[in-house]
Amino acid sequence: MNVKKRLKVLIPTLREKERYIAFQIISEEPISYSDLEAALWNTMLEFFGEYGVSKTSVWLIKNLYDQKKQIGVIKCNHKSVAQVIACLGLISRLGESRVVFKILKVSGTIKGLRLNQFKNTKIKNNEVMNYPADTS
Amino acid sequence: MKFFDFHVHSAFSGGESSLEELASMAKKLGYKGICFTAYPLSKNEEEILKAEIERVKKAIGIEIWLGYEARNLKELKKLTKRRKEFDVLLVRGGDIRLNRAACETPEVDILTHPEFQRQDPGLDHVGIKLAAKNRVAIEINFREILFSTKRTRSLILKNIAQNVRLAKKYKAPIIICSGAISHWELRAPECLISMACQLGLELKEAKDALSKVPQEIIKLIKERKSKDWVMPGVKVVK
Repeated sequence: MNVKKRLKVLIPTLREKERYIAFQIISEEPISYSDLEAALWNTMLEFFGEYGVSKTSVWLIKNLYDQKKQIGVIKCNHKSVAQVIACLGLISRLGESRVVFKILKVSGTIKGLRLNQFKNTKIKNNEVMNYPADTS
Repeated sequence: MKFFDFHVHSAFSGGESSLEELASMAKKLGYKGICFTAYPLSKNEEEILKAEIERVKKAIGIEIWLGYEARNLKELKKLTKRRKEFDVLLVRGGDIRLNRAACETPEVDILTHPEFQRQDPGLDHVGIKLAAKNRVAIEINFREILFSTKRTRSLILKNIAQNVRLAKKYKAPIIICSGAISHWELRAPECLISMACQLGLELKEAKDALSKVPQEIIKLIKERKSKDWVMPGVKVVK
């Protein structure tokens, strides 16, 4: 039998609805991607447990992390935006440096984040909290 | 939407950061105003703090209020008597008698972490009903969650969730504060709102806890400063 090695891409209606969370790290020292990734996973696993984290489909997107401006993007499903943002608040240290996370924008697509607008650090914060709450 | 953090400790009250550092970080994170919480000070210290607040307010461009936190019944009585001299009256929860006294006192604005260092939530339905009647806001303190781990954190989360459940049932105001003692402990409004969502509040209720409830307190501060104000619920009508 001739079986293809890759799975077929799911049609849009069958795919999970995703959200992208853009954030900025305010820190004492520059933060590397590996430190950030380790801290995010550890905090989420500690707070929600393995089962809880599996429901969030969380992923830190490597090629969108800007080490100069310390801006990054996290992908998760549309029901768990609040969980992920709450976990970002629980990260107080990255390596040796104390950190504070600022949430820049939440969007359904990477294009919608318009990351170019965050070149300057003056950002309006009010439009961020319009994501659907997870009431489950 | 305007967000406010009403429980921040500075170097004047056992904190690590200066007023300037705290105010600039709060502005960076998107807050419209913060309340510096202090423990009762001598007159000299109070004057220095008030002058410093005025200076920082102009320099940073953010609204700043002065709050006093009562640590025991004696301090609560003293602060209630001179209520007109400062903006916000907070009571440090944890002791059952103090929690109850705070809920019974209409002059009190915020009861901070009623479950502090306790195995139980620190408030029962009677206390919450009184808090609702006297418009005493029950605080969700983020610092308590931030610096606890494992079993302690799960106990704190359980206790806060019960207070939230009762406060929702009896319509007592809920407020979310960072409880920061350093500018690195301040958290973005979205992080506080999201944490409140995990503790049983709906998104709108969580937003109100960081925006509407503080604005109600600000309205009371303005009323209290006017000449017509006599005591809670009593003012001169011309």
